[in-house]
Amino acid sequence: MTVSRTTDHLHSWTAADLALPPVAVALALDPRLPVPATLRLPIDTAVPAVVRLPILEAAPSVTSFSFGPPAAPALPPRPKPTPSAPAHAAATRGSPPAAPKRTRVVPPRDVVKLSERFFFLLQPDLETLLETSRLEFPRQPFPFQFDGMAFLLPRHGAVLADEMGLGKSMQAISALRLLVRSGRARRVLVVCPKGLVSNWARELADWAPELVVATIEGEQGRRRWQWSLADVPVKLANYEVVVRDRELVADLGLEFDLVVLDEAQRIKNRSSQTSQAVRTLRRSRSWALTGTPVENRAEDLVSLFEFVAPGHLHDRMSPKALGAAAADHVLRRTKDKVLTDMPPRLNRDERIELSPEQRETYRLAEEEGVLRLSALGNEATIQNVFELVLRLKQICNFDTATGASAKLECLEAELEEVQASGRKALVFSQWVETLGRLEKRLTRFGALAYHGGMSTVARDEAIRRFRHEKRHSVLLLSYGAGAVGLNLQFSQYVFLFDRWWNPAVEDQAINRAHRIGAAGAVTVTRYLSAGTIEERIDEVLRTKRDLSDTILSQAEAPASSGLTADDLFALFKLAPPRRAAA
Amino acid sequence: MDQAATTTAYGFLTTVESPTHGLFGGYLLVDPAGRPLEFHCTAPVKVSRAQQILYGATLHGHLHGRQIGATLLAAASLQPRVVLTDVEAMLSVRAHTTLPVALVTAADAGTGSASGAAGVTGPGGDEAASETLRTAIEPLVAAVDLREPFERIRAAIDEAQRH
Repeated sequence: MTVSRTTDHLHSWTAADLALPPVAVALALDPRLPVPATLRLPIDTAVPAVVRLPILEAAPSVTSFSFGPPAAPALPPRPKPTPSAPAHAAATRGSPPAAPKRTRVVPPRDVVKLSERFFFLLQPDLETLLETSRLEFPRQPFPFQFDGMAFLLPRHGAVLADEMGLGKSMQAISALRLLVRSGRARRVLVVCPKGLVSNWARELADWAPELVVATIEGEQGRRRWQWSLADVPVKLANYEVVVRDRELVADLGLEFDLVVLDEAQRIKNRSSQTSQAVRTLRRSRSWALTGTPVENRAEDLVSLFEFVAPGHLHDRMSPKALGAAAADHVLRRTKDKVLTDMPPRLNRDERIELSPEQRETYRLAEEEGVLRLSALGNEATIQNVFELVLRLKQICNFDTATGASAKLECLEAELEEVQASGRKALVFSQWVETLGRLEKRLTRFGALAYHGGMSTVARDEAIRRFRHEKRHSVLLLSYGAGAVGLNLQFSQYVFLFDRWWNPAVEDQAINRAHRIGAAGAVTVTRYLSAGTIEERIDEVLRTKRDLSDTILSQAEAPASSGLTADDLFALFKLAPPRRAAA
Repeated sequence: MDQAATTTAYGFLTTVESPTHGLFGGYLLVDPAGRPLEFHCTAPVKVSRAQQILYGATLHGHLHGRQIGATLLAAASLQPRVVLTDVEAMLSVRAHTTLPVALVTAADAGTGSASGAAGVTGPGGDEAASETLRTAIEPLVAAVDLREPFERIRAAIDEAQRH
């Protein structure tokens, strides 16, 4: 049988194939042989097309990530800890959460490699990490402190900008401790102000007791040896040492896995030696701790970032753009947000009328000073104005001629009550000379002094006695030495005998007492001499007080919150001198 | 001695359904402290309507057990003491592995042995098998909530989709 398939599905057959009857043809009429007829019949039944449904056979592709074994092996689980006093709580205030909170480490935006992001995402929560690493804490951290550790851990550039008193140092120590334990950091350098070195050494011993710490100090040969110590994971140095040993550190080829700057507002001036020295440290991680990331101007934050994440911010950015660009690197919490059970801070602005002697001395000094400034005209400098301001402020404290002081009389009256109730008080002044006068006049309250003119040993001893000896009701501190790093939360009263130029520094001073572990409400009394330069300065600062919050909330902000040259001249209703551009 | 022979590992195997991409598989191996050792994830598998009809009731088991589960288990270099899953259909992977595979459920939802905040149902019905499973996961249960690593896998797959 012949079957021919055509493209249009028509098939051809011969007549025989179809068994058709032969056609009878008369030979006489047609001598040719009969030709079989061919019929073309369309067939509708096409061959069915085969549909192949793909069976799920091919395995999906797999992407794999390997993290390697942890540096520190997991330890058998320990019994669940019973909640103890919260971190930094000398006297237990507030309480840790009853239900365990789980804090996840979230990779920052600048970690772009998927494998690195997975490394953080696939870690257990922080509480489990700490638990299984057998990292003991002297006190149970607050949940927001776990958040702070989780913020620092994955970041190569970070600013922990918590309000003073929220435990920035313990959060940094705990985070660096985890880095060291996991093998991700082997060489850590902590840099802090000179006056806080012993404080940091104590905090490191409390919060990371297993870490060996070398404090870099002493003469150069000794320091060289200390810098060279290879088996010491944590080195502690003050800013001055880092500046002094800048070349030595470079010569030794030291590289750090992490450099932590405490009170990092120290580097807000980019051209300062301190800023330059810390920026030259070779490091892979840079953490800055400061309660005042924006102390005076938006540029403060840019300067800070020259250490934390060089080039990430620049001066031409608007405050709003600065805030947005910095957001992923900065963590700031305030007490009112995270410590709802923190004892209240009661602020009192006490307007004090100068004594008649003080008033007269003040009037003469101001008139004379303003006259002199007017006479100088365009030759008047900020320094001239500044000197006059200082002179007037000093008179507000004590009459230079008679020693009379309306503020002191008021303070003495209030300290009587403090002492009678068995409480403790901190008194701040910007002048060591004022503190000296106060110390003499307040002996019956067991007044102790704490300022930069004293040795570190003497200062530590003053703190010890104030803390432990009941007869010492008053500690007299200078803003410069006493505003940072001290934990004096057993004090219930703070007196600002005179006002500092910058509200952020005043806040730091107040937060020596009003911090985690404060045993009760803290009463803050700010003395202001009525009708004097003190009131005028207060007005100026009050209008600029919110700059830091404004930038950190990414809103528009004024360019500066410090006292500008215009501000200083305006204190005396003087126009700033106009000079030709140099 | 290779790492596979010295590291005690536990496997967490699950899937994540994406409305747009399909079904992702994720397999996390952790140490007894819950810390990650390996992570493997599949490209999404999208099932057509026709395949749904053809596979019928066997689809989920095949998809989870053969297609995703077995593929992921084969990709790992470490051999875990036990593989835990929170997707019942993934138990079909037992046909393709010699590893013990157990189902993790909320403690009050399962009938298996309670382990921490989670319930674990093992492969065997006899008491000896249950005891073996209990012993195997004991160190892990002390460190982590057994449902928690699945959250990590989901977060990682979610991250991978955004990446």
